[in-house]
Amino acid sequence: MEFVNVQELVSTGVAEALAFYFIAALAITLSIGVISDKNVIRAGFLLIGVFGGISGLFFLLQAQFIALAQVMIYAVGITLVVVIALMLTNPRLQNEEAEEEAIASSEPALLKFLDSIRNGFPGLVAWIAFVTVYMAIRSEHWEQSTQTIGEDNIAVIGRALTTDYSLPFEFASVLLLAALIGAIMLAKAEKVEDTDTPREGIESGSN
Amino acid sequence: MEATSSVETRSDFTRFIATFIYAVIVAAGVAIVFAKTTSPGGARQMMSIDLDIWLFAGITVAGIALRYFFAAYSEAVKVIACLGGFLIFTIGHDPMTRYLTLSALLFAIGMYGMVKSRNAVRVLMSIELMLNAVNINLITFARYVDPAGVKGHLFAIFILTVAAAEAAVGLAIVLSIYRNLATVDMDRFNLLRW
Repeated sequence: MEFVNVQELVSTGVAEALAFYFIAALAITLSIGVISDKNVIRAGFLLIGVFGGISGLFFLLQAQFIALAQVMIYAVGITLVVVIALMLTNPRLQNEEAEEEAIASSEPALLKFLDSIRNGFPGLVAWIAFVTVYMAIRSEHWEQSTQTIGEDNIAVIGRALTTDYSLPFEFASVLLLAALIGAIMLAKAEKVEDTDTPREGIESGSN
Repeated sequence: MEATSSVETRSDFTRFIATFIYAVIVAAGVAIVFAKTTSPGGARQMMSIDLDIWLFAGITVAGIALRYFFAAYSEAVKVIACLGGFLIFTIGHDPMTRYLTLSALLFAIGMYGMVKSRNAVRVLMSIELMLNAVNINLITFARYVDPAGVKGHLFAIFILTVAAAEAAVGLAIVLSIYRNLATVDMDRFNLLRW
């Protein structure tokens, strides 16, 4: 029985390019779905696809450990937390958007045009950021190494984490502990007299 | 580009045709770049006059125009523009440039979503997207510039840790704000206004 060596398959040019373009198209499409889907829960589930695609890219880049850690932490852990948060908070933003659109459609044409320019401003900023970064990438001549990553790269990572990078590693563990305690403190249910209706917000008091 | 003005007045057929025309325009742009890069000396000539940048600017303007005047489907236009622009920018380049361009594109998408979204949880999702784009960048440099030391992998591990902490604390804050204000709308958070 013949076993296909994934490492060799990946390092040959054409197969790598095809796999890369497939995964890249998937990741770009799904990430646009994440930011523009009207249904926020569906956007949360599309996020799993984006993280899975990026984990596939890590496999193509011969980073097996990071790819599997990505699946564990992002595609399962963080997405689960996001979806649970979406279910606990019940956003009624769709109605508000419809109201705003009704207000917008009654405006005069010039105001509508100016409004669309204002709404397009984040897109302009993101566009300029992308093109600037791309021009920087394209004009730079990186000193690329011809060798590939060795098969013992997980051993190299482990050795580096416990010797040269042991201090940042410990700090990361302290950070995680602090974040855990902080998250529990913030999300802990407060003592509210009337549990059915949320407390009156500060916004209604200040306006 | 959200243009609510002409959405109601256009029929579904017009909107579909406008989206289709946009796909054809972008495919023509990609075909021009492909022809240029496969012809001898064409890639260098294309770089010298910044043809790819101008083509990307052109398909962006075409997308905005079709969206604003013919109410082409917004999500479809965004997807076609991003995929077409990605192809225009990466055809004929070495693998490292491809990965870095993908990372830059995902970062820009995340940035757009972070500024544009009104739901606080969606803002956090966009930030996760941006952190992932940075991770792709680090792993790419580890693969192509420093394959022996794999330093990029270590920093990617630290970014994974920070992202997990950020997600936990950020979502706890969103939950706490929802409990107090009964909203997750970014436009209505005015706790830290002044």
